[in-house]
Amino acid sequence: MTEIAKVEGLRKSFGKFQALNDVSLTVEAGEVVGFIGPNGAGKSTTIRILLGVLKRDGGEAEIFGKDVWKDSFEIHKRISYVPGDVTLWGNLTGGEIIDLFIKLHGGGDKQKRDYLIQRFELDPKKKAKGYSKGNRQKVGLIAALSVESDFYIFDEPTSGLDPLMEAIFQEEVKKLKEAGKSILLSSHVLSEVEALADKVVIIRQGKIVEAGSLDQLRHLTRSTITLATKGDVAEIATVDGVFDFEQKENQATFSAENKALDAILMKASQLGVKKFEAVPPTLEDLFMRHYKGE
Amino acid sequence: MNEKFARWELLFLQNLKRDWKKMIVWILGIGLFAAGFVPAFEEIAKGQGLVGMYEIMKNPAMISMVGTTPILTASDYTIGAMYAQEMLLFCGLFAMIVSILHIVSHTRKEEELGLTELVRSFQIGRQANSLAAIVQVIFVNLILALFIPVTMISFSVETITVSGSLLFGLSVGMAGLIGAGIALLMAQIMPTSSGATGASLGIVGLLYIIRAVTDVSNADLSLMNPMGWTYLTNPFTENNWLPLLFGLIFTVILIIIGFALEGARDMGSGYLPEREGRATAKRSLLSVRGLLIKINKGTIISWLLGFVVMGVAYGSIYGDMQVFIESNELIEQMFSAEGVSMEASFTGTIMMVMIGLVSILPITIVNKLYTAENRLYLSQIYATKVTRRELYWTSVSLAIFTGLVGILLSVVGLGGTAMIVMDGSRSITLTDFLAAGFNFLPSVLFFISLAALALGWAPRLGKAVHGYLVFSFMLNYFSGIIDLPEWFLKTSIKSWIPHMPTEDFDLLIFVIIAVISITLMILGSIGYRRRDLQEGA
Ligand SMILES: Nc1ncnc2c1ncn2[C@@H]1O[C@H](COP(=O)(O)OP(=O)(O)OP(=O)(O)O)[C@@H](O)[C@H]1O
Ligand SMILES: [Mg+2]
Repeated sequence: MTEIAKVEGLRKSFGKFQALNDVSLTVEAGEVVGFIGPNGAGKSTTIRILLGVLKRDGGEAEIFGKDVWKDSFEIHKRISYVPGDVTLWGNLTGGEIIDLFIKLHGGGDKQKRDYLIQRFELDPKKKAKGYSKGNRQKVGLIAALSVESDFYIFDEPTSGLDPLMEAIFQEEVKKLKEAGKSILLSSHVLSEVEALADKVVIIRQGKIVEAGSLDQLRHLTRSTITLATKGDVAEIATVDGVFDFEQKENQATFSAENKALDAILMKASQLGVKKFEAVPPTLEDLFMRHYKGE
Repeated sequence: MNEKFARWELLFLQNLKRDWKKMIVWILGIGLFAAGFVPAFEEIAKGQGLVGMYEIMKNPAMISMVGTTPILTASDYTIGAMYAQEMLLFCGLFAMIVSILHIVSHTRKEEELGLTELVRSFQIGRQANSLAAIVQVIFVNLILALFIPVTMISFSVETITVSGSLLFGLSVGMAGLIGAGIALLMAQIMPTSSGATGASLGIVGLLYIIRAVTDVSNADLSLMNPMGWTYLTNPFTENNWLPLLFGLIFTVILIIIGFALEGARDMGSGYLPEREGRATAKRSLLSVRGLLIKINKGTIISWLLGFVVMGVAYGSIYGDMQVFIESNELIEQMFSAEGVSMEASFTGTIMMVMIGLVSILPITIVNKLYTAENRLYLSQIYATKVTRRELYWTSVSLAIFTGLVGILLSVVGLGGTAMIVMDGSRSITLTDFLAAGFNFLPSVLFFISLAALALGWAPRLGKAVHGYLVFSFMLNYFSGIIDLPEWFLKTSIKSWIPHMPTEDFDLLIFVIIAVISITLMILGSIGYRRRDLQEGA
């Protein structure tokens, strides 16, 4: 597979504040990468460096094999970007701004534009200052989706969209994916990431703390297990890799590392299993664990 | 009080807490400026100073800039009279402008930024915010009005009387209130906060120019002008308190109308209606140039119109000037002795004023690129094949272009009108006007280049370029009145340029300043291409 975007050892500080401290990630061709992390973790900063808006202090950052700072002009011809806070000139209409963005990008598909305006139910005649947050976001999305690009960078693209519109956004992204486009998607909407991403990169305090496919990541985390036994269930607590053990009579709920499962099952069978439920970690659990920095 | 204004006093106290530093700078800045020049004027008055200054101040060019005096003979001219004539109008103008900026930023601007919505969600009246802002302005101007006389009296100059000083201070304060009233009204009428600021400043500019014309032709007419209700109190001479009453009534009416309009409108909108727009963009919009023109269009058109009006207004003075000279043998001799015509001398001075004002527009245009950057307007555009170089140079070129057109329009307005009103004896031609105007082109380029340099390296300093413009304007203004050291004068770019038509064109200076300006612009472009864009920071 070819690498569309490649970031390695990226560093960036604002004054004394170190916003990025060794960020590395790659986006392969045809891949959707979810980029998640708590507020202020450095997602937008990373993205702005990729866009050539900020200059990195150190490390490497390439898109299409070209340097994001020096060759931004070449790169920009083939990328689309939607920020999380689309801000528009109040006295231009949504339609005008979409046309302008498309043209400045180098031209797009008029039919696609009209189709998207209809899909997202945007009134293009309204002056932008009259748009709600969600409608401003739609303007940015429509402009970015109307042009032909190879790499799409979305920074919280659906902030402010209602669930219906968010579903439409997801459908459109799936179409891009089917067409073999690569996408970097930063978002706080975990269900969105779960639905779209092939790979997830988690950033925290300017550092990548985890990266891999969802399955891989799941494997790294603990499952929640509910177990009822004939014998005293308390013995399970002594197994290595069992955490948050809570007992109610002879039933216990705890989280367990996947590698501990074998030992737990052995012990449980000695005690006589009455009930066994294992819930794999939800995305939420997965992220919570990293967000809180355990 | 009415529930619309419920708990305004909370907001008022909040404002005081938040703005106390700003308010101190405001009061000290205008106050010391208004009162602190007394010793300097004492210096001027020594020897034959007062008589000489009285004659200088009879020049229509001076009257059109600083205002009139009720004194009829040179021997009656006192330090107080001179101080009031030369200082009061300008101080009032400052107080007015600062109050306008304050009111718009505390009402309409906050609304735009969504702060008002937040505040209103607590149990606070719909209009409490505006009331708090108005009370704050009244409060500041009142302190200012008292601070000025106290400072003035402390110099213990005989003709700077206590009652005169108090009147002087109150006149400045009243100017501030009138500005606040205008701003409150415009904040309701105009669709955006920048529109409200622009319209308010435009009105003030217009009133100033109208009074320039009436001061020269018939000073009584200036008493019909709200601007006249400040400096025509004539402190230290006539001590006329009546204009303050006019000003007060006028302000109260403006504020009442302002509140009534505010009560009836929706948050975030103005009275001038928004038309439904286009579903698709016109071809002319679809480029960086098209975009920059479009977003600056309102500003450009209103300023250019302002330049024409300004030119025409000052031009109309030329007619009166002839009458004035013919009626005064001494003045006639004075000018013919120096070998320059009064028209030429007037043109030289006025041109400096006009081109100074013309410079505001291009600086604003360059600064706007940073505003757009900071407010995230450009985020998506940076990610297209538009380069920073293109954004930068398109902005700078647009600024230069508006500078050129601004000079042309104001000069043609001035010269054209002057040609019409000066029947018969024309000592000056339209070409002289054009030459005198474009002679200042390098200064306009220089201001643009400073703004461009700031944009490239330290964009937050962009606003300071306006400050430097005001500074150099004042320097040239006061150089006519007070002797300032040569090196100090030279800190204003315009001091380097000869004042045509009384002085000769200096090609070398013209070229040097132009080259320096272009160099600074190029330096700025290097910075703009290398720095982090500051989005929302
Ligand atoms: N221009 C700037 N100047 C100073 N500090 C900055 C600047 N831009 C970002 N920061 C800081 O860098 C850190 C990372 O910010 P960034 O916007 O990248 O976070 P994020 O992961 O996108 O967060 P969010 O989820 O809230 O969007 C934050 O602490 C932020 O305050
Ligand atoms: Mg962000």
